[in-house]
Amino acid sequence: MLLLLGALQTSAWLVGGMAPVPATRGMTRSSSSLRMAVEAEYDLVIVGCGVGGHGAALHAVSKGLKVAVVAGGDVGGTCVNRGCVPSKALLAASGRVREIGDEKHLADMGITTGGVSYDRAKVAAHANNLASKVAKNLGGSLTALGIKTYMEKGELVGPTEVKLVGTSNTIKAKSVILATGSVPFVPPGVVQDGKTVFTSDEALKLEWVPDYLAIVGSGYIGLEFSDVYTALGSEVTFVEALPRIMAGFDKQIAQLAERILIKPRNIDYRTNVFASKVTPGIPGVKPVTIEMIDATTKEHVETLEVDACMICTGRAPYSEGLGLAAANVQVKRGFVQVNEKMQALDVNGAVIPGLYAIGDLNGKMMLAHAASAQGISAVENICGHEHILNHDAIPAACFTHPEIAMVGPTEEQARERAKAEGYEVGVSQGNFKANSKALAEGESEGIAKVIFRKDTYEVLGVHIVGLHAADLIQECSNAINAGSTLEDLAMMVHTHPTLCEVLDEAFKAGLGRAAH
Amino acid sequence: MMPALSSTMTEGKISQWLINVGDKVNIGDMVLVVESDKADMDVESYEEGYLAKILVPEGSSAAVGAPVALIAKTKDEIAKVAAAGVGGGSAPAMAAAPAAAAPSTSAPVAMASAAAPTTGRVVASPFAKKLAEEKGIDLTRVTGTGPEGRISAEDVEAAVKNGGASAPAAAFVSKLLMATPAAKKLAKSKNIDLATVKGTGNFGRIMPDDVLLAAGEQPVPKKVPGMAVAAAPAAAAAAPAKAAPAGDKKADKAPAAAPVGTVAMNGMQKAVVKNMAWANDVPTYQVSRQIATDELDKLYGMVKAKGVTMSALLAKACAMALAKHPIMNAGYVPDGIKYNANINVAMAVAMPDGGLITPVLQKADQTDLATLSKQWKDLVPRALEGKLKPDEYSTGTFTISNLGMFGVSSFVSILPPGQGAILAVAASTPTAVLDKDGKMGMKKMMTVTLTCDHRHIYGADAAKFLVDLAAIIETDSMSLLF
Repeated sequence: MLLLLGALQTSAWLVGGMAPVPATRGMTRSSSSLRMAVEAEYDLVIVGCGVGGHGAALHAVSKGLKVAVVAGGDVGGTCVNRGCVPSKALLAASGRVREIGDEKHLADMGITTGGVSYDRAKVAAHANNLASKVAKNLGGSLTALGIKTYMEKGELVGPTEVKLVGTSNTIKAKSVILATGSVPFVPPGVVQDGKTVFTSDEALKLEWVPDYLAIVGSGYIGLEFSDVYTALGSEVTFVEALPRIMAGFDKQIAQLAERILIKPRNIDYRTNVFASKVTPGIPGVKPVTIEMIDATTKEHVETLEVDACMICTGRAPYSEGLGLAAANVQVKRGFVQVNEKMQALDVNGAVIPGLYAIGDLNGKMMLAHAASAQGISAVENICGHEHILNHDAIPAACFTHPEIAMVGPTEEQARERAKAEGYEVGVSQGNFKANSKALAEGESEGIAKVIFRKDTYEVLGVHIVGLHAADLIQECSNAINAGSTLEDLAMMVHTHPTLCEVLDEAFKAGLGRAAH
Repeated sequence: MMPALSSTMTEGKISQWLINVGDKVNIGDMVLVVESDKADMDVESYEEGYLAKILVPEGSSAAVGAPVALIAKTKDEIAKVAAAGVGGGSAPAMAAAPAAAAPSTSAPVAMASAAAPTTGRVVASPFAKKLAEEKGIDLTRVTGTGPEGRISAEDVEAAVKNGGASAPAAAFVSKLLMATPAAKKLAKSKNIDLATVKGTGNFGRIMPDDVLLAAGEQPVPKKVPGMAVAAAPAAAAAAPAKAAPAGDKKADKAPAAAPVGTVAMNGMQKAVVKNMAWANDVPTYQVSRQIATDELDKLYGMVKAKGVTMSALLAKACAMALAKHPIMNAGYVPDGIKYNANINVAMAVAMPDGGLITPVLQKADQTDLATLSKQWKDLVPRALEGKLKPDEYSTGTFTISNLGMFGVSSFVSILPPGQGAILAVAASTPTAVLDKDGKMGMKKMMTVTLTCDHRHIYGADAAKFLVDLAAIIETDSMSLLF
């Protein structure tokens, strides 16, 4: 015990007078002082080594905590291995295929090519190699910071006690952050074979490019894959349960996105239908069959015969074998219930001391950067600095060509909130068609929509569809985080000629001013 | 995996399994017999192991590339592999390949069924045979529905109705009217009722090209990026059923009636355009000569039975004349003449779907006539199927174009890229001739016309070459035999 305290003191000195070493409630005095190193106490044990867990781990170390991560054999998690990273690689390659193959677009600039071809295996390798590289770097960063990483899966045996599954060892910590993420949700009635019926897990390996595939679900994952597949030569039919595709996006943006991303491509869709039965096929022998029923009447509407079916119906929290019951954790549809400080709640709604849950596991905002922000927030709270993450200021992006990005509520949601809280909402717009850079690139389709409070000019939300939207949204996210108003933003100098001026146009328009 | 036994084969029917579940399979063992669109072929195994499960039974068909059986590495794994089925990743599906290029003449050892003719194992009732003969049906293309694949008269009738061969069995037949999104959009814009369109896509679905054809328009060359490697996720890389390159597919689906409007050229045709354009910048001229072919015809009559063709005779004659006139076998390079070490005689062959290819008889002056004939017999069928290797068609140093079989009296060929001369051979026709003494006689005269590159080959060179060519053919034809 003495030795341990000494170590804690040292790390506090190393950090040089920063926040005092944490002392969360319920510091357990264990009899483990005579046990071997693997059961030494940690300030923080993080179960899960994805973006959320990693972000929390790094922040915890910067706060001087002694941290261990229980990786469950998945260093990097979904984002690195089966999500963001490989998908961006596929989108980069397929995006170039699309661009170089766009004869008209190039001819408008005086360019002709001899056509474009691709090597599927090499495109897939680009994605796989990138994922491996980033995962390795992530693992390396943990080691470099002296964070102990256990490869086993973790299981709660108490609120702050984690058993290493498959061993007889249990780690005790002052705090535990659960960050086990999510897995693709597959609706009942869908039979997967991983080849002709599959989720993003398999799609990212790009083992083949089907001629014609159905994508069940038209959210950002389905949309991104429709972009990849159609760029590589496939045709796509979306099967959407809700009344409109891209239902999670701002309505005006979704309509414009449909005009740019769906209509001109070999994509069509069915809405208001469930894929009630999906049966795998055999390439060249028999097709995949998808039976669709009306979402309301549940009657059979249509059957599709396609070469492949990708299931993009969202993600389910991964809490299998996590031992949540041992800590009496409250769970709703698999999601761990937490308060605004990321503290886990028990079945009665009370805070479970020392236990936190972040990322996809709590379902508050299922995005990689949200997970890591929540991880940082949780660590702040663990260190005694009360921190409440403003999710309204967290942007999101869809990496289609062109991109879609957003921060804050949709116009519909903003209007509802305004009605409830008694203020009026204003909307202003900037157009890529009026932007010199966009015109120079020949990519002038898109808008930036700014939603603001009419009384204070405070920016509430921004939605962008257009070239580099995913990067442009950052300015807006910072603005919302800082509570900036249109007046502040309209006076910010935006570099010329850049795409940022689309936002400048929108900010100024909100104030009734004209931009260049 | 169902092998592709010919370039046009998209699926094969398994006539017979030569091994049973549980049998040990060695590499090279004949394991099944496949009936293709051309003939029965014995198929050997590339894998070693034990047959765990037969996926496609006798009498059933599988698409090229589809797994037909599962092999387990060890006897113990048989049950596991059989249970895992096609989707079970670790079990290798049997990768098989045809035993020989020629139709099967080797009867499989395990074959127990009734005696069969040497080429293809056709088992048919006497009446079926008689009927087939009457109707001009090739029994090897008829699927027998009787016991052990025996062909009945009904099967022959069915084949007659189907255009000379039985319809492929057990292929997936869709009960739906499937069309791809692009096809639907196109149909809508052109006001075409999809129910009237014949689909040629996977599983019979309607593709955009099908809609175009139905609208009376010609398919546009695919704007979709070409894939360098196309593979379906079977256990081993296998081409999906519609693996044929765009050119072939379009040709198959073109309407039987006269083409309407603008027809897109296939790759071979486009290559011809490019090659012909080369000669535009070359100063060429033509020299003709009539050659009496009576001697040559006599020689041909003697050696025909041995498999020697007229093409080979002409190629050999030209090669021998070229040996005496190296300038004719040379090409022009800026400020120089490139003399070729070998005399490679190329002969133009028209492709069935359009385009021209020039299979090459390498070192024709040094190769004996019999060998040249054999080579030519091997090259031509492969050329027609588009299966020549580049060095088999692009290494010619002198080209012959022969339209004699069409009765053409004379014509002029266009010089192929890089060569100095090309010989246009017309028909040999009986002609009244006056000999030196003024006496009338009859000789078979053939007009040949040389087109030459005047940058390095002058008129006299060409004329002298023709003197020697005529001499070989008219008075020294026996020398061609060596």
